[in-house]
Amino acid sequence: MRSILNSNTALSRFDPLPRVIHYDDFDHGLQGWSELIGNYEDDLGKMLPEFADLRPPMLSSGTMWDTGTAGSMAGTYSLKIATRPRAEHIAVGIKRATWRHRGPIRLEAYFTFKPEATELCLSETDVRAVGVLFDIQDIEKRWMPHLRYLNALNGEQVAKWQFKRKREPLWQIGGTGKTRSHFHLAPTGWEDVPNGHQILCYNEIATKYNWHYLRVDVDLATRQITKLQCNDRVHDVTGVEPMVIPAMANLWCMLNVAFWAETDKDKRAFLYLDSVLLSGEWE
Amino acid sequence: MIRQSYTAIVERDRLLQGEFVTEPYECGWATEAIFYVRKLESEGQVTGTHVRVQISPDGIRWCDEGTEMILTNAEMDFVKVKHFGNWLRLVGELPEKAMARVIVALALKE
Repeated sequence: MRSILNSNTALSRFDPLPRVIHYDDFDHGLQGWSELIGNYEDDLGKMLPEFADLRPPMLSSGTMWDTGTAGSMAGTYSLKIATRPRAEHIAVGIKRATWRHRGPIRLEAYFTFKPEATELCLSETDVRAVGVLFDIQDIEKRWMPHLRYLNALNGEQVAKWQFKRKREPLWQIGGTGKTRSHFHLAPTGWEDVPNGHQILCYNEIATKYNWHYLRVDVDLATRQITKLQCNDRVHDVTGVEPMVIPAMANLWCMLNVAFWAETDKDKRAFLYLDSVLLSGEWE
Repeated sequence: MIRQSYTAIVERDRLLQGEFVTEPYECGWATEAIFYVRKLESEGQVTGTHVRVQISPDGIRWCDEGTEMILTNAEMDFVKVKHFGNWLRLVGELPEKAMARVIVALALKE
C-alpha cells in the first residue's frame, strides 16, 4: 500500500489506514464541510447562544494584502474557518458521516492558522486556539474526543496541546422533549496533554504561514484516543480521554469530524486546512 | 464537469439597526454570486433602504462594487453580482427607528 501511496503525489504525504473514508482536497471545492449549528425547535432564538454564530467555512486562496496569493500546500485553495473579530469568538467547520465498523480510525490533515493581518506587527498571540473534535455514537455511548492547540491566552503565549473530557450541562431545547444541546467547546474543563508543549512554526510576519501535519487516531471499539501527532512530535496520550455521554436518539453510528478556531482578541482568527484524510481499517 | 457552487449563510438571525456591515466572505473561486436577504421580522421604514455590494482584495479594505439592492416589504430581496474578487460583503444603513432581523445568504457559483 505504501508504494501505491508514494506513487501518488497528492497522497504520499499521508499515512492512512487501508480504507479511505473521505479524502478532502479543497482545490476541488468545500468537499461536504459546512457550518456547525446548535439544535433548535420552532425558532432560531431557542438555540444555545454559543452555537448561534459558528460561521460558514470558505475556500481561501490565502491572499494577503502585501504579497498577494500564497495558495495552499498543494494547489490554490484551502478550507478557511474564520471567527468574527470579537475576542473569544469560535468558528467551527464540520463534516458528517457514519461508521460501518467499530475499529481504528485515523484523521490526518495539513493545517495552519493566522490572525487577520490588520496590524503591521507579529500578532503571534492573537489566535487563541485551533482544535479538532470527533463526535461519535455507538449503541451505548456518544463520545467526543476533543483536542486543541492552545496557542495563547489573554495575550500570553501558551503553545500546548489540550484535551477535554469534562461534560458541559445538557439543556432541554424547545417543548417536544426530543431536542437537547450542550456547548462542548466551552472554555472550561480543558486539561493538558502530558508534556504537550509544542512550538509551531508561526513565521515572522502575520502574512506568512507554514503548513503543519496533524494526525489523530481513535479506536471506535475501545472509545480511546490512541495517537496525537503534530509534525515531528508524537504526544503521549496516556490519560487523554474523550468526553462521554449516554447515547442519544437519532445519532446511531454517527462519525463527525469538526475543526475550529478561536480568537484571543478583537481580531479574526483563521484556521486553514489544505486537506483532510479520514481512514479506517476493516475487512 | 459540473460547476461548483456553495451557499454561505453569512448572517443568521442578525439584528440590523442603523449602519450595518455583513461579515466578509472570501469567494474568489466563484464567478457569480447572489446575495439574498430574508427578513424574519422588521419594524419601521425598512422598505426603500439601499444596500451596497462591496468588494475587497484582502478582506480588510473595501470598495463599492456599484451594485445595489433596495429592500422591499417582501420577505426576500436579492442582488446579483458578477466579476468580483476576492471578498464580498453588504453594507447599508436603516433609518432611525427601523430594524430588521435577517438571514443573509450568499449563493456562489463557479
